Amino acid sequence: MTEAILSVTGLRSGYGRTVICDDISLQVSAGQITCIIGPNGAGKSTLLKTIAGVVPAIDGSIRVAGVQMAGLPAARVAGSGMAYVPQEANVFRALTTHENLAMGGWQDEGRTQAARDRVYDMFPDLKPLARVPAGNLSGGQRQMVAFGMALMLEPQVLLLDEPSAGLSPLMVGEMFETVRRVNAEGVAILMVEQNALQGLKTAHEGIVMAAGRIAMQGAASELLNSADVSELYLGSRI
Amino acid sequence: MNLQIFVNALVNAALIAPPAMAFSLLFGVLKFPNFAIGGYITLGAFAAYTFNVPLGLPLPLATLGAMLFTGFVVWLAHVWVFKPMQDQSAVTLLVVSIALTLILESVVRLFFSADVRGFDIPLERPWKFWGARITREQVEIIACAVVLATGLHVLLRHTRIGRAMRAVADNPMLAAIRGVDAAKITALTTVLCGAIFGLTGVFAGLDLVIEPLVGWNLTIPIFAAAILGGIGSPYGAILGALLLGLAEELTILVLPSTYKIAVGFVIIAIFLLLRPQGLFGTAEIKK
Amino acid sequence: MSAYLVSMATYAGFFMILALALNLQWGLTGMVNFGIAGFYALGAYTSGLLSAKAGWPLGLSIPMAIAAGFAAGGLVALLSMRLREDFLAIVTLGVGEVIRLIVLNEDQITEGPRGLRIEAQPFQSLMAPENYPVFYLGFVAFFVAITYWICERIRKAPMGRTLRAIREDDVVAGVLGKNVFRHRIQIFAIGGGFMGLAGALYAHYSQNISPEVFMPTVAMFIWMSVIVGGAGNNRGLLIGAGTVIMFLEGTRFFGDVLPWLDAETMSSVRIITIGLLLIVTLRLRPRGLLPEPKFTYTRDKIAG
Repeated sequence: MTEAILSVTGLRSGYGRTVICDDISLQVSAGQITCIIGPNGAGKSTLLKTIAGVVPAIDGSIRVAGVQMAGLPAARVAGSGMAYVPQEANVFRALTTHENLAMGGWQDEGRTQAARDRVYDMFPDLKPLARVPAGNLSGGQRQMVAFGMALMLEPQVLLLDEPSAGLSPLMVGEMFETVRRVNAEGVAILMVEQNALQGLKTAHEGIVMAAGRIAMQGAASELLNSADVSELYLGSRI
Repeated sequence: MNLQIFVNALVNAALIAPPAMAFSLLFGVLKFPNFAIGGYITLGAFAAYTFNVPLGLPLPLATLGAMLFTGFVVWLAHVWVFKPMQDQSAVTLLVVSIALTLILESVVRLFFSADVRGFDIPLERPWKFWGARITREQVEIIACAVVLATGLHVLLRHTRIGRAMRAVADNPMLAAIRGVDAAKITALTTVLCGAIFGLTGVFAGLDLVIEPLVGWNLTIPIFAAAILGGIGSPYGAILGALLLGLAEELTILVLPSTYKIAVGFVIIAIFLLLRPQGLFGTAEIKK
Repeated sequence: MSAYLVSMATYAGFFMILALALNLQWGLTGMVNFGIAGFYALGAYTSGLLSAKAGWPLGLSIPMAIAAGFAAGGLVALLSMRLREDFLAIVTLGVGEVIRLIVLNEDQITEGPRGLRIEAQPFQSLMAPENYPVFYLGFVAFFVAITYWICERIRKAPMGRTLRAIREDDVVAGVLGKNVFRHRIQIFAIGGGFMGLAGALYAHYSQNISPEVFMPTVAMFIWMSVIVGGAGNNRGLLIGAGTVIMFLEGTRFFGDVLPWLDAETMSSVRIITIGLLLIVTLRLRPRGLLPEPKFTYTRDKIAG
């Protein structure tokens, strides 16, 4: 077992007095892909937002490489070695690709030039689009800009909220390929996916959430073969 | 057609364009049409007047003082009024912003009465060329407006802080996720816009007169220029200001000059109904 | 002193009709109107000109004022269905200003800034002049009551409830189709009619109207009444209108107590006070003094 880069224990969060996620404990190992699946309203996205600091944690701990993050606002979590890509509105539409990437490197402007070259190496398709406002890009291109922006500060773990949502079927496969490529660079990934089958096939580890709690946890291949999981979440998808 | 119309339109555009750009910028971060700009402009004009006439400072220095003062007041308004109310609807905020303009106007009236005033500057004969007249102050206003517009362009497009301002206006949540202190950037934007409104007050005092209603009278033309050019497109605002200036000057040829203020409204109505994205903007003000 | 209170209450009546009309428009259709001063002026000048210049009896000129407001309301609503509400605010403000500018400039008809003198007053000949102000207060109160009653009826009618339910959501409105569209225009027009009525009542009360009365600040005061009172709640906004008039007119007392304050200073202080009233109210009670009651579906109703 490799060491955990992201370690969440006893996490509880919600909006106002409504608790959405409760008693969540999970670990993401360095360099691994972990996929969270579960029915609509299970609290998957809220969990990711809480880890990223967008939704405040009520209780529990979130450690990135041993450093406590729970209670910090999103702006302080950025640059901590963890980067979050929201599901919607995940690029600055009025800014060009180039400027979007610069915003990704906001916290460490000195590294921006080198980091941007690295992102363009990883996503060569973006290079010719450098001067195009992100609002004019296609859905797939925007998703690449969003990934690229999140990678600017060389995070050790990337949080992806439903990266395949809204993409055409053709683009979905390509997107999961991109997730694997980013992971191959040594970045651990924690992603929430509606597309449970593809998500688990891409991931090393899997987590099933239901009603705000973790229902099942294990190797992705085990979950794929588990009778319960396939009946509940995979059957309708195939 | 005579050249004077174009000269007047140009001066008008130089007066309107910078605050229209600032209004666009402010709309980007606050998301409602802020009528308080009228009060801010009036305040700028009277602040500069106070520095210039009773205190005897030279006009450039008084202008700088007025910009700082107005920037500070706009920041106060942001902290005390608009920020705590950010969950209110756009219409409520709009009513509050009109109330703020009325308050500022009345405060000015309390201290200065409604008399018409002017800066302490030597009176000079206007320059004449090809039958058109232009005063030295008008030339200075045009020059300042060009410098300001260029400066704003450089700031927004080519500096780190300007990029962050555009990013926060575009998507404050994502900006926070990427580590930008969105509240600080918003405050900075309001101060910058405040300084521009202060400067507009000085320009208005030079070209028109200094009186409590000076800001209110400019508010609708500023909105019209910003909407004409396209909200969210500061450069469109410049063209919008030019076209509005021309439209106003041409109207005076056929209608009594008191109808001039209606031109702005008519342009706003036509554009909002037929082309809400303006000439260049994004379709942000559609329903 | 008591004459003063009567006059203040009469003014509060005009404001209450305007505020009820605005709440009808905004509260039910979600369409904002910042041109209130224009509708008010339209009513005042329609009835004023018809009676003073054309010699019409008040029994015809006042209904014409209502009709003028109604028609203008329908027209504005028809033109502005597509606008986002804060920009509709600017357009309607423009409508109000254009009406004022016309009144100001076409002085051959309207007498412009000189002011239009109106002799006719309703039921004037039936009583002694010293009793007339109290009678007029009752006359205005009667119309406030009628306006309130009609507004409540519309609000509680099935169509009113539907309109309120969908005012936040134009997609739903679109799906429900033309019927809703037509009702929204009708309601906006009815609101315009009430504003015209308020204008006519004002014209025959003050007997002298001039354009400077119909500045956009009037719209501001009415909006403040609605927001301070609690948007959507008709009882709340009656309180709101009363409060605003109290601040607006009541501060005149200071003028009597503190004679060294001149009229100019007094009017500035008044505006500052009323502006602060709005800001402080919103800071302390973000939903106004009497907020709009939430939709409640009681169990019995569903079961029954």
